[in-house]
Amino acid sequence: MLVLKQLFFGLLLPAVVSGGILIFARSLSSKKDAVNADKWPLNWIVAVALSAGYLVGYFGLEGFSVLPFPPRQGIHWLCCLAIIGLIVAGFWHFSRWGRLVAQVVLAVVMPRLLLNSAFKYTWGQLEGVIWWVCLAVAVFIFWNLVQQSFTILPRGASGPFVYFGLSGGTALVLALSGSLRLAQHSGILVALFAASWIITFVLQRRSNSNWSVLPPGASPVVALLLAGIWMNGYFYEEVPAVSAILLAISLFLAPIGRMAAIQNLGARRSALVQIAAIALPVVIAIGIAVARSGLFDESSGY
Amino acid sequence: MKMVLGHNLRIPYTAGLIIALLIIGFTGGIQLADAADTYEIDTAHSMILFRAKHMGVTYNYGRFNEFTGELMIDETDISKSMVEFEVKTASVDTANEKRDQHLRSSDFFSAKQFPVITFKSTKVNMKEGKKDMLEITGDLELLGVKKSITVDVEITGKAKGRQGESVMGFESVFTIKRSEFGMTYGPGAVSDDIRLIVTIEAKGK
Repeated sequence: MLVLKQLFFGLLLPAVVSGGILIFARSLSSKKDAVNADKWPLNWIVAVALSAGYLVGYFGLEGFSVLPFPPRQGIHWLCCLAIIGLIVAGFWHFSRWGRLVAQVVLAVVMPRLLLNSAFKYTWGQLEGVIWWVCLAVAVFIFWNLVQQSFTILPRGASGPFVYFGLSGGTALVLALSGSLRLAQHSGILVALFAASWIITFVLQRRSNSNWSVLPPGASPVVALLLAGIWMNGYFYEEVPAVSAILLAISLFLAPIGRMAAIQNLGARRSALVQIAAIALPVVIAIGIAVARSGLFDESSGY
Repeated sequence: MKMVLGHNLRIPYTAGLIIALLIIGFTGGIQLADAADTYEIDTAHSMILFRAKHMGVTYNYGRFNEFTGELMIDETDISKSMVEFEVKTASVDTANEKRDQHLRSSDFFSAKQFPVITFKSTKVNMKEGKKDMLEITGDLELLGVKKSITVDVEITGKAKGRQGESVMGFESVFTIKRSEFGMTYGPGAVSDDIRLIVTIEAKGK
């Protein structure tokens, strides 16, 4: 009964909500709009779909009784990050400088808020400042990688599939590291990307359109949520450092698809190579987490 | 009239009287301080156990291995007494390392974010109609949530230690609902009601 409830609220309901909004967004757009990745507000609706789906899953798992403001735990910040990401996404296409300022401010503020306990109990003043600077830079770079991946990855189903794999790998690593609650939050993202993947795949087959289901405008929601989950996992749970780094840098391999040698393989094969290159660090990250977890030890269960 | 205190030290009588009064006052002060004795928890002879029901079937027990605390007991006016506790969440021990690791995660105690559970009394009374039973109200802070709880505490004994220090024993058994502190993970697997068994030996400082 409990597992069914978690599956419903943590996977099915977020997927249905997000998928429903995405289908609505697609129905509003003309074929010309659908190919244009910078069209507003259609692309903001994609951010709404992801954010709303995540919030439904968040409250489904955590319960409405614990309204997380001010957030006490790192996990509570994920709800705020989904909302902040949605607001920022609303202004994403208006000004390049505004976008940059929002990225810098959030990259600086987010680690300080989310890791408040680490600043308070774990790190000394200098150590805290060093971590803060490094994390702010890392979040900024990762956010740009996410944004870049939305344009570098082939249009259509490849984008959602890559993020489906990335959040799925994150969920596995977290579960293996002993944090099932945080793994469920990553599981919500798995459901959201699975829904967008299936919708894009079906639309591609039916109307032969190349709809960009993950436009750059959705990057604030995706980048903030993934970065938030990884920070929680590494600093507050037992996620191995190497696994966390491998997950975070996997998107660095997205530009591999632009290499001439890879592009010569043809559209389908180059997309497969690109996806395989991104999947490799994710698979290694999972392997390390499996090895560290002692999953196959005799005393693994309790 | 002169009062002789030594070979060559002579103090006027009135001054001697003042000194004598001061000495009496000082020793009286010591007696007053003695009435509100400060005790430190002797962790070697104290224990904080908890009990949770697993899958609605079996009671599983665990303990916290590291904690500190201080008690101030005023026997002349018990309402002036005070209790303070600090329990290290990372020291949770259920005799199964895998389970302990899970308990330290954010699914339960979130030990890295909330390294300590604290209790600070706000009111101490003698339990009405019961000998050697205290009623302590205080703030229990777990996972960053502070809640006022009232518990019955039995005074289990008093004695003198090896160095002549006062030793007192206490025990309290009470139940909290973990969901009230935001610990909501696995409601079917682990009961919401958590029974705590706290047995303390405190030594006079």
